[in-house]
Amino acid sequence: MKSLQRILLSLLLMSATGTALAQYYSGEHTYDGENQNEASASVTTGKNIITGPCIGNTVHYKHYFNDHWSVDGGLNAQYTKQLYGFKAKGEYHFKVKSFHMFASAELLYNRYFKYKTNEIDGNISIRFERGYWDITLGETLINYTIGESGYTELPTLTFGAHATLKPRTNDWNVGLLFRNYDDFYYENWNINWGLDGYYRLNPNWKLFCEFNIRPAGSMSQLASKYETTGKVGVIYRWK
Amino acid sequence: MEIIMKTSYTYILFTATLLAASGLFSSCEKVSPQGVLLGNTSVDDRVKQSMLFYTYHGDDMDWYLVDSIEEYSFLVGSDSHITFDPGRLSEMMQTGIENDDLFYCHLGDLADTKPEYYYNTKLALYDAKRMWKSKYLRPLIDEYHSEADGVYIDDRVIKEWKNNCRVWDDWNLPFYPVVGNHDITHNGWTLFCDQFKTSFYEFTVKVGGQYDRFIFLDSANGTLGNYQIDKIEDNAFHNDGKEIRNTFVFTHTNIFRPSLNEFASTYCREELYYILNKLSEWNTTIMFYGHVHAWDDRYFGECPNGKMVRHITMPSMNFVDHPNGGDDLLVRVTVKKDGSCQVDRIGLHCKERTKQELDELGYYTKTK
Repeated sequence: MKSLQRILLSLLLMSATGTALAQYYSGEHTYDGENQNEASASVTTGKNIITGPCIGNTVHYKHYFNDHWSVDGGLNAQYTKQLYGFKAKGEYHFKVKSFHMFASAELLYNRYFKYKTNEIDGNISIRFERGYWDITLGETLINYTIGESGYTELPTLTFGAHATLKPRTNDWNVGLLFRNYDDFYYENWNINWGLDGYYRLNPNWKLFCEFNIRPAGSMSQLASKYETTGKVGVIYRWK
Repeated sequence: MEIIMKTSYTYILFTATLLAASGLFSSCEKVSPQGVLLGNTSVDDRVKQSMLFYTYHGDDMDWYLVDSIEEYSFLVGSDSHITFDPGRLSEMMQTGIENDDLFYCHLGDLADTKPEYYYNTKLALYDAKRMWKSKYLRPLIDEYHSEADGVYIDDRVIKEWKNNCRVWDDWNLPFYPVVGNHDITHNGWTLFCDQFKTSFYEFTVKVGGQYDRFIFLDSANGTLGNYQIDKIEDNAFHNDGKEIRNTFVFTHTNIFRPSLNEFASTYCREELYYILNKLSEWNTTIMFYGHVHAWDDRYFGECPNGKMVRHITMPSMNFVDHPNGGDDLLVRVTVKKDGSCQVDRIGLHCKERTKQELDELGYYTKTK
């Protein structure tokens, strides 16, 4: 049974990488003045207390117009969760002294089929980035609709912190992350934490991975197991 | 030089992380900062223990209104955060007993987690139990005949006369709490469990040929947890075949956020949507929440019976938030003959007593 799971996982990863479209690597300014396109694909698997074992794919595409402006879009398909989403994001990069700063606006749509719920999130954030760490601060508006009932949550603080062992220019890295969001969801006051890392195969190809613990009840001071996931993927960039 | 600078940055960052971690892992009295990343109590364990209790005592919780009574009421309070003075809880109980409310519900954070505070809570509830028994059970005991197979605890209610309830002390005060995060922050489940036995339970009130259903969920950890959800999905409370008229659900952690001054919900996204769907599926009349110490009242979610679920988030009743009390700290729900519900907000006005006064009454008041 385990072998079957491994084979299935490998096939999914291969299919995902084969049709690689996108995933930008969070917290990294990758524009080198030459390659303007970046695409990635990843597979995520883990366990959620509501939906049980979970597996899914995400794909991203990012286009750099120049050193300042970029746009990206992504798709998320979580098969066992029956959660499907897409997002669009615009980002402006500028420097203040030695800080790289990124102001961004994002729109995210999620359809939770299992719970008949449509969710639309709007986020504005600013990210401060140095060689070994980055911090993100922002605000998110979350609206959800079930049947004819809808509710827009009051603006919620978005925050993230990420530190790496090596400078971002290194060919490999591992990092530690704390944040209340992920690529395809925003939480209120639940603090995800985990490890991530990458290995650069050559100037165009890079492998990345992430281990993410998503608890419930962080601000109840009784953070509990909610979801644990592992993600592996590949990034390709070109002119 | 650059390498030295970068290495210094790394060490500064590492040291700062260590300092932050040491701050997080050092606990103060009422809060548990390390719990922000890793809680020290498991909802699954609590629910397993609660289900064992329910297996043996679940039937004892049900109420049967006598045929001539078609209307009843119950009282709901929240977040009393009892430390030295349990006066607000005592006032709530007195209000309920004087008004002949059938029972009393509490939405968690009853006491801040310390054995001494639970001791004070226990004393307050013991006084309330004595008051309740004097009013409702004394006439019964005086007139009790051993051949009775049921018993009228007042002129409205009949309870099954179980063998294990024939002793005066076995009658429980009809006080139904859910567990809140502050009840158990410092491994306080033992204290809560010792007094209240269960954090996940249900009972029904039979009115004529129909039933009103009362469900109490354990969300102290900001999640129902895997085991509780499994039990909910398995319909653990065996109400099949009963004609349910109203369903009332009680839990600690809120879904809706009253204002920017309060925390947002700490349920994760899928779980939040799961709960909202489940409430609709249950044809919930009113869902009660505590936790954020502020009032919110809204309708969300259509039920199969065509009605909307009403979500009430309750204000706290403690002395810190309301030193002078208030006219709207409790809720009384009156369930009428036709099944409709009237929600009234009820006041609590007692002031915090001095340590000397509390000492004289036998409450624990020492700070160390």
